[in-house]
Amino acid sequence: MNQQELNNRLSEIKDKLIDDIEQKADNRIFLLCEAENSYAVNKFLFEDVPLRFLIATGIDSDDCFEVLYHYSYDQTGCMVTLKAFIRDREKPTIDSIAPFLPAAEWIERETHDILGIDFNNHPDMRRLILSDDWPEGVYPLRKDAQIPAQRPDGEPSSRPTVQSQSPARRTVELSKPVVVVGPFHPLQEEMEFFQLTVDGEIVTDIDMRISYNHRGIEKISESLQFDQVPFLVSRICGICSASHPLAYVNAVEELAGVTAPDRAQYIRVIINEFERIHSHLLWVGLAGHFIGYDTVFMWAWKYREPVLDLLEEITGNRNNYGNVKVGGCREDIPNELKPKILKELDKLEKKTEMLTKAVLDDPVLHARLKGVGILSKEDAVKYAVTGPTARGSGVDIDVRRDNPYAVYADLDWKVIVQPEGDVFAKAVVRLLEVLESVKMTREAIKKIPDGPITVEVKEIPPGEACGCAEAPRGETFHYVRSDGGNRPIRHKVRAPSYVNVPSFRASCIGQPIPDVTITLAAVDPCYSCTERLAVVDGHSKVLHDYEALLKLSREKTARIKKEIGGPEFKLEDF
Amino acid sequence: MSATAKREPRQTGREFMSWKIWSLKKSVWVFHVNTGACNNCDIEIVNLLTPKFDIERFGMKLVGSPRHADALLVTGGVTAQAAPRLREVYRQTPKPCVVFAIGACGCGTGIFRSGYHIVGPVDKIIREIDPNAIIAYVPGCPPKPEAMISGVVKALSVL
Amino acid sequence: MIEALQNLFWILIFPGFVFTVALGLFASWIVRKVSALVQWRVGPPLFQPLYDIMKLMGKEILIPQDAQRTVFLAVPLVGLAGVLLLSTMLWRITIAQTAFVGDIIVAIYLMVLPSLALILGSSASASPHAAVGTSREMKLVMGYELPLVLAFIVVIIKTGGQLNLAEIAGYTPALSISGMLAFLTALLCVQAKLGFVPFDIAESETEVASGIIIEYSGALLAAWKLMHAMMLVALPMFLVMVFLGGFGTAGWPLVWGIGKYVLVLVLLILIKNTNPRVRIDQAMKFFWFYCGIALVVAVILASIGNYYGISWL
Repeated sequence: MNQQELNNRLSEIKDKLIDDIEQKADNRIFLLCEAENSYAVNKFLFEDVPLRFLIATGIDSDDCFEVLYHYSYDQTGCMVTLKAFIRDREKPTIDSIAPFLPAAEWIERETHDILGIDFNNHPDMRRLILSDDWPEGVYPLRKDAQIPAQRPDGEPSSRPTVQSQSPARRTVELSKPVVVVGPFHPLQEEMEFFQLTVDGEIVTDIDMRISYNHRGIEKISESLQFDQVPFLVSRICGICSASHPLAYVNAVEELAGVTAPDRAQYIRVIINEFERIHSHLLWVGLAGHFIGYDTVFMWAWKYREPVLDLLEEITGNRNNYGNVKVGGCREDIPNELKPKILKELDKLEKKTEMLTKAVLDDPVLHARLKGVGILSKEDAVKYAVTGPTARGSGVDIDVRRDNPYAVYADLDWKVIVQPEGDVFAKAVVRLLEVLESVKMTREAIKKIPDGPITVEVKEIPPGEACGCAEAPRGETFHYVRSDGGNRPIRHKVRAPSYVNVPSFRASCIGQPIPDVTITLAAVDPCYSCTERLAVVDGHSKVLHDYEALLKLSREKTARIKKEIGGPEFKLEDF
Repeated sequence: MSATAKREPRQTGREFMSWKIWSLKKSVWVFHVNTGACNNCDIEIVNLLTPKFDIERFGMKLVGSPRHADALLVTGGVTAQAAPRLREVYRQTPKPCVVFAIGACGCGTGIFRSGYHIVGPVDKIIREIDPNAIIAYVPGCPPKPEAMISGVVKALSVL
Repeated sequence: MIEALQNLFWILIFPGFVFTVALGLFASWIVRKVSALVQWRVGPPLFQPLYDIMKLMGKEILIPQDAQRTVFLAVPLVGLAGVLLLSTMLWRITIAQTAFVGDIIVAIYLMVLPSLALILGSSASASPHAAVGTSREMKLVMGYELPLVLAFIVVIIKTGGQLNLAEIAGYTPALSISGMLAFLTALLCVQAKLGFVPFDIAESETEVASGIIIEYSGALLAAWKLMHAMMLVALPMFLVMVFLGGFGTAGWPLVWGIGKYVLVLVLLILIKNTNPRVRIDQAMKFFWFYCGIALVVAVILASIGNYYGISWL
């Protein structure tokens, strides 16, 4: 379907279910409807058109609540947003779309946590992102929220108190050196990050608690000025720290109607592709660590270092570059640096090609990773996954091609897609993407024009806009709404891991335990996410923890290696 | 970088205490706690293991249990969900031990100061259960691995 | 009275506790340094293991609330005592010829004590993580004890029924087919007993230390580390005495003996650094099936060799 056909399709339900269609730009469409019809419209959009679900945003407008459902039509790069108005401010309710769209489960739980909107027929309305001891009825993202000044500091209730004589010990010598503490290992609680339920050797269910990293970024954003927000969002995740500000800035520049100068666009591409390179290499190292190839771990992290050093020379920091601003870039790439960058890229390309070849040829890796953790294409669509997780399952989406930003449309590169959906396919996708990124960066360095790197932005008019960028993990999506003032009145952030991680339900269930760590790692969540892991049997008895699962994974590799007699990576080869 | 360790005047049993601290300085086993960080600091901590930085030269090693730890590397401005865990981990670390608040978030919540889910930097949480805790600060966003090593070594030399 | 004091000296100072500990800490430094060099790192300074022990002595001891107190506190000392006696005995035999008939059997018994202590200690910890380590260590011990004893039986057959370590040390059984088989098998069993890769299923030496000693801290943890260091002295010594012809006490035989000890240590380190971990059932299969078959063959060869007087069998 081209854009015109899409418009026609959407007009079909006008006056029946939706009240109005606003076309903010060629490829930005807003549908307005009442809360009662949102279920039907969503079903139409997801199943009949069909569109790809991105995320939902809850907004506390003055006289009503709004729930925005964002969709993307990848063929034309069009973003369709459904605005559902909830008029009842006392008891805001709306029908949940999770019954046919598993990707919406988490975001509806989160919207309930932070705005207090009830979702009817949601299969699992447990608390998601606020802490266990957060008081009921306090919804932080409401405009009139009364955040308790004295934050509740609850003790974990299920654990007996620990009596340690530590405070007094430093001044009292020779006291009894033996103290009594609680019986449980501190990292083992009921509310583990990941909790797997197993039946024998096979995983039957998986659950996740994600409150540990919740810092309330969307609310903090509302108190910062537009220009300060990039610094905040680059610290959402350390390894996507160039993509989040870029997506935000894409949204704000769209809102303000400005375009950054060409040189700035090239710089943005170069920095983002460098980030993709070192992020994928980090993943390769971690994956090697999980399956027992520690030489791969050390090799990959050793070759990240030159990339990080280059980034430090350009932007001043190995991570958290702080380079993107509304209207352009802050730091320029000095022309004297270009030969050095090209040299490093050549070296990196050679080494990555060797590693890719080794991975593609290694029979042990084949046996260890092929057929493991398969995420089928249908599940990939239902869970709305993005990035290498999706492309490794045969879903051909990439924001840089579908909805181009910066200068991606001018560079010569291709999207890597593998159909199998297992961990091996995702590893191949990532390795080949590193090579593509090297090619792209090389071209960008050669083609970068001279000129200014920033354009002045006087004011941000009232309105709303969406922006996205392709982070190493997938599509980052930012939605910004402004009322003409200095600060965003609503800023919705969707990191790619937010939709990728829940797809574990589809890929981990039915896997044997030794394969769990590598399946979880295949999604490339943030490192700290996978640290907290526990396996329970049907009666909630903890059987293994993260370290034990790591061992199991590596043992399986060693066993397979013995059976096959595969080659060992030697550091000298690289 | 600054490495301020809170010290109490030790009049009684100073000789007895000092060999403990001396051997602590020579052999620091480190346990990493993430209380809601963006992972930059955490990745730089893992970088410490790699051949470029190699902390085993200083007698340091990363252990998997707080029971075996002498120093806690705490990243993140502590979120409400993570605060009880941090306290629990601190209690289960045998004393004497040093707490390192790593990064801008650890030292003073950094850019997330006004976040509703942040209950305060690391030292506030630790001092709630142990006012005499030894806490050292390694700021940076993230601090480079060299900075972390330098911060740890400096803090230990002040002990 | 004098004799009692003398015995005390032998056990506590030389060649007992102090000597074994010093040698053991040095041996564990060698292990760590070589492993670091293989991984392209620099590794720890020379006295690092000593600093580790000293630091651990200065730390608090935390006991889990549900732990079996007496067992928890006592077993590290039991393990330590076992290794100490073994080491003292082996060194005394070498230096002062105090061997007696059946001492090899006593040595085998003493060798089991550290593993038993680890199992008891971790199961007394009342921790789910330690429990995983306990069950694995138990399975591992069941796996390698039998091949280890069989390996020694091969040597006993080859030496014509000698049960006296000093006599056995006069032979060099490793220079024969059955002896070499037995030596290699015993080497791998010692690898498992020391908890080295590829058999460090119960406890890993690197930072991922979950499992058997996870609940231990302070001086008790120091006791476990000391026990491990002393095992690094006693067990290779035992192997040298049984398979490689023992230790001399002066001059060329002494240098030769040290060389043999270092050889065994180097073999242990090499195996440690060139293999990934194996799974517990894989380890048991390896020990019972493969080692078992190898040793049955070795026993048969040794018996034939002994009967017909063919020494190279």
